[in-house]
Amino acid sequence: MTTNIPTVDPATSGGVELRKEPSYLRVSSGLWSWLGTLDHKRIGLMYLVGVTAAFLVGGALAFLVRLHLWTPDGALFEPATYNQVFTLHGVFMVFIFIIPAIPASLGNFVLPLMLGAPDVALPRLNLASFYLWCTGTILAIYSIINGAVDTGWTFYTPYSLETGTAVVSMGLGVFVLGFSSIFTGLNFIVTIHKMRARGQTWFKMPLFCWAIYATSVLQVLATPVLGVTVLLLAFEHIYNIGIFDPQYGGDPVLFQHFFWFYSHPAVYIMILPGMGVISEVISVHSRKPLFGYKLIAFSSISIAVISFLVWGHHMFTSGQSEFVMVAFSFLTMFVAIPTAIKVFSWVATIWGGSVALSAPMLYAIAFLIIFTIGGLTGVFLGTLSVDIHLHDTYFVVAHFHAVMMGSTALAFFAGVHHWWPKMFGVMYNETLAKISAVLILVGFNVTFLPQFEMGSLGMPRRYATYVEEFQIYHQISTVGAAILGIGFALMVGYMLASLAGGRRAKANEWGGVTLDWHTPTPPNLYNFDEEPVMTGDLYDYTSGIPDYGKDAPMDKDELAERQAAEGWNA
Amino acid sequence: MSDHSTHGAHGHDEVVVDHTHHAHPASAGLFFAIYAALLFFTFLTVAIAEPVSGLHLGSASMFIAMLVASVKASLVMAVFMHLKWDTAMNNIAFLGSLIFLSLLFLFTISDVATRGQADPAASTPAEYQQPVFHEYEHKGGH
Amino acid sequence: MSGHAKVVTPTPDGGFATHEVAHHFKTAEQEYQSGKLAFWLFLATEVMLFGGLFAAYIIYHDVYPETFVAGGSTLNWKLGALNTVFLLTSSWTMAMGVRASQLSQKKALVGYLVVTWLFAAGFMVVKYFEYSGKLSEGVGPGYWFNPVPGSHYAEVLEGLPFPNLFFALYFTMTGIHGIHVLVGMILIGWLIVRAQKGHFHSGFYLPVDLIGLYWHVVDVIWIFLFPLLYLVP
Repeated sequence: MTTNIPTVDPATSGGVELRKEPSYLRVSSGLWSWLGTLDHKRIGLMYLVGVTAAFLVGGALAFLVRLHLWTPDGALFEPATYNQVFTLHGVFMVFIFIIPAIPASLGNFVLPLMLGAPDVALPRLNLASFYLWCTGTILAIYSIINGAVDTGWTFYTPYSLETGTAVVSMGLGVFVLGFSSIFTGLNFIVTIHKMRARGQTWFKMPLFCWAIYATSVLQVLATPVLGVTVLLLAFEHIYNIGIFDPQYGGDPVLFQHFFWFYSHPAVYIMILPGMGVISEVISVHSRKPLFGYKLIAFSSISIAVISFLVWGHHMFTSGQSEFVMVAFSFLTMFVAIPTAIKVFSWVATIWGGSVALSAPMLYAIAFLIIFTIGGLTGVFLGTLSVDIHLHDTYFVVAHFHAVMMGSTALAFFAGVHHWWPKMFGVMYNETLAKISAVLILVGFNVTFLPQFEMGSLGMPRRYATYVEEFQIYHQISTVGAAILGIGFALMVGYMLASLAGGRRAKANEWGGVTLDWHTPTPPNLYNFDEEPVMTGDLYDYTSGIPDYGKDAPMDKDELAERQAAEGWNA
Repeated sequence: MSDHSTHGAHGHDEVVVDHTHHAHPASAGLFFAIYAALLFFTFLTVAIAEPVSGLHLGSASMFIAMLVASVKASLVMAVFMHLKWDTAMNNIAFLGSLIFLSLLFLFTISDVATRGQADPAASTPAEYQQPVFHEYEHKGGH
Repeated sequence: MSGHAKVVTPTPDGGFATHEVAHHFKTAEQEYQSGKLAFWLFLATEVMLFGGLFAAYIIYHDVYPETFVAGGSTLNWKLGALNTVFLLTSSWTMAMGVRASQLSQKKALVGYLVVTWLFAAGFMVVKYFEYSGKLSEGVGPGYWFNPVPGSHYAEVLEGLPFPNLFFALYFTMTGIHGIHVLVGMILIGWLIVRAQKGHFHSGFYLPVDLIGLYWHVVDVIWIFLFPLLYLVP
């Protein structure tokens, strides 16, 4: 380990404070220092690049879907092509973007910092799961070239057995992506159990850690069932195993059971880390300890457990047993309790706080608004009788986009904006960031509120054409998608611009107090200058905020570079 | 660093002589006893199985076979896999999966077992289920 | 921060063995317990993965009971029982191997690992004869299920609904289990090489411990597969 002990006298460095060690970004360079890294922060950044690219691809596909639906007969594609486009949108967004998005990128970067640890417990497994993610993504891309997939992201049998498209390679891609997710979750559970700082008891962990913990439990327990399901689906194609194929004595509804045993908990794999991010952002930017800390912590765990009891609410029209449906519908209602506890606690945290309407906070507020819409419409859909009417309509589409896109993706952006100065030591243009947050909030609602309406009027999802009555709703929705697209393009633009020449970040940009804000900005290779020990309360803003208002220190090479570039010297 | 004090960092190449043994080697005799018990239960499984013994235990046979297998599995897990001496968390991590697995079994099996049984009319002959239209025709006529 | 802790352990032959703790752990105990917990979680995923297959088996056993009883009766329970004894024995020798590594008994460790490997190989040999016997009479999974007319299989399964399902499940479940046995043989082979080089001792035996756990899970799964498939109740 190279240690960069300051040799420049602070008096000759123009008043710039010097770091004890170089940052993780500057400690080594070259392509291999990234591709072969065991550093959780660099792995997190590689994930960040990967999932953002997947999001842009999935988003472009979504925009094509919206453009196609501009006219009742479909403006762009043949119906068969349309099926492939929305399927690929689903697969990219669900398996490649949203499941790894927050845990694997932000979680990887922030979790060890919050625990005061030098790294995750299993760094090599961490890198391996990144390469599994790459392999799964390559298999998915290969499937697109090799005939695409037109089954929807759910691969329901028997259609997925009859279609001539690349279900096997896509299924194997999902299998590999699943193991990437399992290993990330497993790693984080062990990290949280074994790597916490001295003095950091379970109830002195930031709520993001609790959310990641609950998520990881789901990843470890639910994902193997998805693995065996897509494996059996592949066997169904390779040798007609027959389990899901009525022609050979099998039961297609069993496929749906297996699929949703994973995919319902997976909904919480997607949203729980987002809830964790929002807890952190709201606390820091309201300058207040979280209201109901233990309630939020336990609600994460109880959401994880309840999520295993409700998967049948995706199957109310599948022909499963009526008795089981009643049980599933009843159990689904219980999800609303811990979810509402979280929402009320966040609102109560903001109440009376010293709220800074910074860019991350605007994203968090947008999250609160849209998540409430998504959550409440979920109660409608969990109600058996109502779902019979709304099943497979645009109401469902709008509901899960409110939860996935409007909540998880917005929480992801809130988190990226929140930790960006910690990650790179630079700040983006906050004015543009606020404009982008507003554009996305407006664009989202213009896109999806008409979908709630036309869904309740009976517009089915996944149709390439529709009757003329729905055209106005579809057109408003497409305009909204364009607004969303402008918001995202703007975001990518100012984020990249900040890397090229953004303002230098403060040592503690937002004034956070959890251990992640105790590291140098950006952190050292092993994160902390000195091993942290927690003594005080978590979220205690009254007894001083570390390094608040100070400039981030530089190491001497960085200082020399800046002096050369800007032409000043002591 | 007001609310989080710091602690002195590790020295490099710190040498620790390992006094705290996490190893708790069980006695070889216990392992052999478990092995013998496993062989006995295997014999029992075979001996009571209908294809071998000709015993007709009916629906109980599945239950008995799974019970014996569970006893064998428990012996392996408790002793060979050291769960008996392992931490509570490791026990929870592994055995907890069985709880979630039982949920998969519970809901899928109860679906298949009760499917189509809620509506008594569904099992009656089709002519009794013909929808009755004349009331609507009557209303429409006026 | 994060120095490299080193563990020095006295060995029975009067020497010392050292183990360097990975950079991000403070103590050998933290490293050991992290590896253990991670591996238990991995084994939980194995339970869930096989659990899906068991759920499918139980459901179709309920739907087509006669087919499954008849299908099970065509399997040779004696070979199944022999394989059960093979795996139980290898599980026992593996447990003894872990014990030997905890006591720094290098020769005993290598011996137990070799015996474990041999019983695993024996299991695969028996499996090979079972599979080839079935395939030669046209009994394979799914697509390859075309029992030769006049064969024992064709007679027993005559007129029963969907006998293909029983054999598809038989081949899939024992096949995935067999792949686990093969992976286990590779891992145990790797342990033998490292044990021979004296890498394991009371201060560091985590790999032996973990692969041992894996091997016992492979055994536990077979404990359930044997009565379900060969002695269909």
